[in-house]
Amino acid sequence: MNDRQRRDFQAGLAREVDALLRGEPTRRDFITRFGQMTGMLALSGPMLASMTDWALAQQALALADPATPLGQAQALALAASTEGPTDGSAYRAAEAAKQFSGVTLNMTYEAGLQALDPRNFSGPMWEQITGIRSNVVELSNPDQYSKAVAEHIAGSGAYDVLDISPAWTPSLADGGVIAPLDDYIAEFMNPADLDDYHPLYKALPTYKGKIWGFFDDGDMFALYYRKDVFEDPALMEAYQAQFGAALAPPKTWEEYAQIAQFITDQRAPEIYGAGHFRKAGSPGNQFDFLQQFRANGGQLFDADMKAGLASPEGVRTLENMLAANAASMPGNNELDAVSLWAAFLTGKVAMIYSWPPSGRMAANYSQSATAINFIPMSQIAGKVGYAVVPGNPEHATGFNKALSADSRNPEAAYLFMQWITSPPVSLARVMLPYALRDPYRLSHFSSDLYAGLFDGAKDYLINLNNSANVGLLDPIMPGAQDYFLSLDRMATAVWAGADPMASLETAAAEWDSTTDRLGVESQKAFYEEFLKLPGSTADNTVEKLGMAVNLGG
Amino acid sequence: MPQAQIVKRMGAAGAPPALGGLGRWCDRHFKWLLVAPAVALILALSIYPLAFSLVVSFINYDFQVPGHGFVGLKNFERVVLDPVARRALVLTAFLSGASVAIEFVLGLLVALAMVRNFAGRGLVMSILIVPLFISPVIVGQAWTLLLQRPFGPTNYILSEILGRDVTISWLTERPYVYISLIVADVWQWTPFMFVILLAGLTSIPPNLYEAAELDGVGPWQTFTAITLPHLAPMMLLALTFRLLDAIRMFDTIFIMTAGGPGTQTYTASYYLYTIGFTQFHLSQATAGSWILLFFTAIVVVLLVRRLLRVETE
Repeated sequence: MNDRQRRDFQAGLAREVDALLRGEPTRRDFITRFGQMTGMLALSGPMLASMTDWALAQQALALADPATPLGQAQALALAASTEGPTDGSAYRAAEAAKQFSGVTLNMTYEAGLQALDPRNFSGPMWEQITGIRSNVVELSNPDQYSKAVAEHIAGSGAYDVLDISPAWTPSLADGGVIAPLDDYIAEFMNPADLDDYHPLYKALPTYKGKIWGFFDDGDMFALYYRKDVFEDPALMEAYQAQFGAALAPPKTWEEYAQIAQFITDQRAPEIYGAGHFRKAGSPGNQFDFLQQFRANGGQLFDADMKAGLASPEGVRTLENMLAANAASMPGNNELDAVSLWAAFLTGKVAMIYSWPPSGRMAANYSQSATAINFIPMSQIAGKVGYAVVPGNPEHATGFNKALSADSRNPEAAYLFMQWITSPPVSLARVMLPYALRDPYRLSHFSSDLYAGLFDGAKDYLINLNNSANVGLLDPIMPGAQDYFLSLDRMATAVWAGADPMASLETAAAEWDSTTDRLGVESQKAFYEEFLKLPGSTADNTVEKLGMAVNLGG
Repeated sequence: MPQAQIVKRMGAAGAPPALGGLGRWCDRHFKWLLVAPAVALILALSIYPLAFSLVVSFINYDFQVPGHGFVGLKNFERVVLDPVARRALVLTAFLSGASVAIEFVLGLLVALAMVRNFAGRGLVMSILIVPLFISPVIVGQAWTLLLQRPFGPTNYILSEILGRDVTISWLTERPYVYISLIVADVWQWTPFMFVILLAGLTSIPPNLYEAAELDGVGPWQTFTAITLPHLAPMMLLALTFRLLDAIRMFDTIFIMTAGGPGTQTYTASYYLYTIGFTQFHLSQATAGSWILLFFTAIVVVLLVRRLLRVETE
């Protein structure tokens, strides 16, 4: 070190020491503290994650009172998994899964009520039986598709079990996001349990000859009506006098609008004839149009894959829907599904058609769970009748359990899927008061335990079964979201006064644009696959194919 | 601190540890090390996504169409030829223009009313600016609850006031749906205008008003000759900020109308959201974002230029 360097060093040192003695931070302090902060940040991530995990951890398994039908169903599910019958799918899945004890399965669920089942019931029970933990990833409905695809592209293996809409099956299967189950089914499943699905639902996860999941939610629309209104002698007499027919649940959509208008004319503002969830973005518009359009003989696509919406059947459908709107409660076009339930449960509406929880809520069974306390208590319990929606009811969405192709524990994931959808376990799940999973197995529809859940539950189950016999499926093909969105836009435009035919033409043009974007030939192939499914058209229902299930009633 | 004490403590501190190679390098580049985290963050969170989005807008990036092939201007063409997109752009201009104009007038009136001291002024001001602190999603939900038939009280109150049955569908019928959206936006953002304009008003020297009063100048002339010229920079600033924010109008539409009826309340932001996150046509949505950015940039340049000119004047 020469003299100058020494002087510079000492001057610098003196400055640093002065700063140190004055308590000012030095560069060294800064670097030290920066390092400490970085370290703390690095540590805080895992700490926060573990705290989050703890906060969202599964509940301990708490079973319902064994004296109740739900408690008995849960006990039977546990016994079927641990004691047998040994050839049952639940028992075989549980036994085979024990080798994976300690593994954690990541499974997607729609956020909110749907996720309560794996958190509170099925997840804890599965862990108790097998030692396999379940990590429930709650996603919004669109994200259940997009996240699954994104994680597949990234190859992250983030998910093991996917909860998907059946409409997504072709694109997820062709995209390699989900794996076929045929080999696992052959090895682990009791084939009789496949035959326990209602025929409408059995084929739903089948695509190009392979099985891509297990159906897990019978989202069948049904008609719920006020028996006390329909059996009111004065109304019955007036209806007979006016129309020369008995006042009864409608069989056609024209009759539906007529009855709704009649009740509104006679009883409003105390009770209105009908209500619908018609709000933009609420899926009621697309489902209602699809069921009525096809029941009226409409074809979604022609042989060249051109949209068949702009047709006399389309106009008839929209005109029927407009007539029903006019006969409905005020604000009908602004209702979503929950608002419609609120209106029905508080006695303002005589008829609604919606998803199966409508029946459980009307009987005040769902509201026994605190998770459903945002729904008002039913003021119409015991007064509700069940009927098949005029023509053909829509099976509105539903869920399949699918195996992620990127799962790091595919066998354990498959076994969980087999177990959770097995007859005894799925019965206990669809009986949960907060469940949004609805009956779909023959053993659900004929269950004495379920029939004991609330007054009228047996009729409710029979009606769901009968609805499935003539039910229609949502189109299962790529672009389904786009097609649905066009229908919603079309319907809400018509409700606001747009010309039905012009709106149908706009929607048809959007459908054609979607088809062009995805490839006409490719879409044609998907549509042809869809047409093979029972329930794809009004001429191809389970009943028309001679496979109807008769439970009496 | 006395010199002797400093020397004593220096002795106790001992010699500084010798720096190694890394230490010397850090010492030499210390200033760059300080800014490196911020630069890295900006690169990672702004520059890279921006560049990536430009790439995405020229390729196929669609969850439903496999592959990421180059498609040229196809994504831009889809947006330009989409009547929904064109209409959304016009509606964005209309809604943002109308909302901001009303907010400006109301904000100015309230600011003029609040510029003088009066009993309870602090309390009134606190209440007036509350909407600013509420999430737009909550604002949308609150207005939906007020307006939605049949449960919202608006029609009932109007019926009571007007003495006749009011059955307006505020969220599903034109033109009421536009009025509803503008009202919700005005309710939330008028306080923003008010706060900025009030700050501008209080910064005008009071002696100008005293002089005007002594000269017998009337209130209107005082307003046009003193208040307006002095307030102009703040006005332009408030309008610029608010307009840029209003162009992004999304939250209230998402909650109140979901773009309906039909596509009547699709703004540019809502259109891009639908294309990107409902239909998963990500490359088309990205191309649309660049087009929107282009139009927004024109507005920004015009307003900022005007703002700078006012400041230099």
